[in-house]
This record gives sequence, structure tokens and C-alpha cells, in this order.
Amino acid sequence: MNLRKITLRHCESMMTDFPDRTEVQAASADLQRRTLVQMPRPLDRLIYLASTRDYNTGLYYHDGLAARFSQEVACEALAGCHREAFRQLFSSSVENLVGQLAAYRDSSHLDPTSFISAWKELEPYRVAVPAGTDSLAVDFLLSNLKIALAILEARQTRRPMAGLGAWPRPSPAR
Amino acid sequence: MITLLLFVGLGVGLLLLLFLLARRAPSVEGSARGLVEAQRALHTLQLGLLPEEVVERIFASDDLRFVEANAPLPVRNFFLCDRKKIALAWTSRVRNQVLRLKEYHFRRSRFYSQLSFSTEASLAISFAALLLQCRLLQLLLTLGGPYAAPRVVTRTVGAATRICEVSAKSLAFLTPARAHTFGDESPEDHAAAL
Repeated sequence: MNLRKITLRHCESMMTDFPDRTEVQAASADLQRRTLVQMPRPLDRLIYLASTRDYNTGLYYHDGLAARFSQEVACEALAGCHREAFRQLFSSSVENLVGQLAAYRDSSHLDPTSFISAWKELEPYRVAVPAGTDSLAVDFLLSNLKIALAILEARQTRRPMAGLGAWPRPSPAR
Repeated sequence: MITLLLFVGLGVGLLLLLFLLARRAPSVEGSARGLVEAQRALHTLQLGLLPEEVVERIFASDDLRFVEANAPLPVRNFFLCDRKKIALAWTSRVRNQVLRLKEYHFRRSRFYSQLSFSTEASLAISFAALLLQCRLLQLLLTLGGPYAAPRVVTRTVGAATRICEVSAKSLAFLTPARAHTFGDESPEDHAAAL
């Protein structure tokens, strides 16, 4: 249940000493200021922060942050921000999630249909969950993301038809 | 002959009782495991299952309104089905954690805490009422769906919160007053509990 401690155990395994709490807070603030500020939506932050995590070890890596602080402090700061992004996404309504998903899709500059089919098939958000997250919270968020994706898809299929409807009807004479 | 059988039966019964009492003894009181489990149950309830933001999101009716207005029928059905599963899982987990706390209170608390008899009695009634409420909620959610009983949800959360407060007092000695150290719990740990 306590995700923070689980990640800590990961980060601790590579440490000789506990990182200073104030240093971790400073690293988190630095990460917020320099990197995360460019990602206004929790979904973007969640996916970005999950991408800094090594799938084999569960440890987080960020070269810039590690250079300014230390690898252990960077790991803990990234893990903390990841958990916070998850919490924010968990607290988002379905309506808000649809908006976030649409904005994320638009920012990817991909063909909307390919984006949705890839997300439906691969479910990339499944690997973006922080380690040790409570299963109920994960199930809830994944379910909401699936619904949001389905609504986005429904909107998308409606839109081209609406667009077609806007075309002038060909005259019978033609 | 009948008297002999009666005495033999009585003897066997007494031996059985003795055996059962002997088996109970090791689980008593003193074992830290029960305390730790109770503390964990309390932690799960207070940080993971009962916070307002968690309950509000799981039973949020604005989600239902949005999905009904924006999603086609199959998506609406999928949403209701999924939410029902999650609501039932939430209720079942609350019930399980409350059962753990109840077990702790009934078997062990008198050895460690200084709860009075009247407090213990009212706690027993509160536990029974809460467990019954959880069952009722499960029934209502199963029959009527995830949005069938918002008032019962609110009442269940309220009752569970009150029980958590009492349990927290009796378990307080397990939580040493410590300075903020790395890895310490803080309000931010709501995120962690999720």
C-alpha cells in the first residue's frame, strides 16, 4: 500500500547513506522548475516520469538531476514526482481525462486514428503506473483511461461524419 | 452403562475444550504480528480507502453524467460495469480491514490499551453496525449498480472513520513520536497510499 516506501527500498538499494530529505525536496523543486513545468497535464508528466524509470530495476534516472544532486537523490525525487502525477491523474474526472488525452494526442502530432488504435491495442499507460501502487487505485485509473479513450474514439468517428454532412449535397443534375 | 457413556462423553468434551483453549493460547497477546496487522489495516483505511478524494472519485456522479451525455451505449455499459466492480472491491476491502481491526480489538486490545469496558462495548456495537452496513452496501451495489446508494456510502465512510479514530488511539503507542526523518509518513503520503 505504501508506495513511497517501496520505491525508497529500490532507491536505497543503491545507496550507502539515506539521501537528505531537504536535498530530495530541492531536487523535486528543481525538476518541477526546469522540466515538469513544460508539461501542464498530469498525464504528460506521468508518461514522462515513467519513461525515466528502468524497467528492469525500477530505478529512476535523470542525468541532469543526478549531476546537480546525486543519483540517489535524483531517483527519489523522480519517484516522488511520479507518485504525485499518478495521484493527480487519479483525482481527475473522466471529462478531464478525455481533455488530457486529446491534448496529449494532439501534442504527439500523430494521426489521431493511429494514436487511438495504438493506445487501445498496446495500452501504454499500464506501464506508466508507479511501483507499489494500490491495485484498486490502478484498476480505477486504467478503467477511467479506457473510458476516456473510448469517448475520444467515438468523438473522432462522429467528427468525420459530421464533416461529411457539411459538404453540399451533389445536385441530381450532376 | 449409560452413566459410564455419559461420563466418558463428558471427559472427551472437557479434553476437547482443553485442547481448544491450549490452541488459543499462543495466539494471545504478546504477539506483535496482530498489532502490526491492525496498524497496517488502520493505515490502509485512513490513507488508502477512506480519504474524501478517493471516495468522491470512485462514486463520482459527475463522471456518470458526463459518460451518459458523451458516450455511446456500449461505452456507457462498460463504464457502469467497471465502476460497479471497483465500488464492490472498495466495499469489500473496507470490510476486510474493519474485520482485522475488530479482531485486534476483541482479542488483543485489552492487553495493551486502557479502554474502559463501556468504550469496548460501544466499540463492539459500532463494529457490528459497520460490518452490517458494509454488507448492505455490497447488496445495494450488486443490485442497483455503483450509484445506487450514495447515502449508505457516506454513512459507511463516516462510521469507518470513527472506528479508525478509536483504533488509532488504542494503537497510538505503536506510532512513536518521531522527528521528520527520511521515509517518514506525511500528509503527502496520500499519494503513496494510492
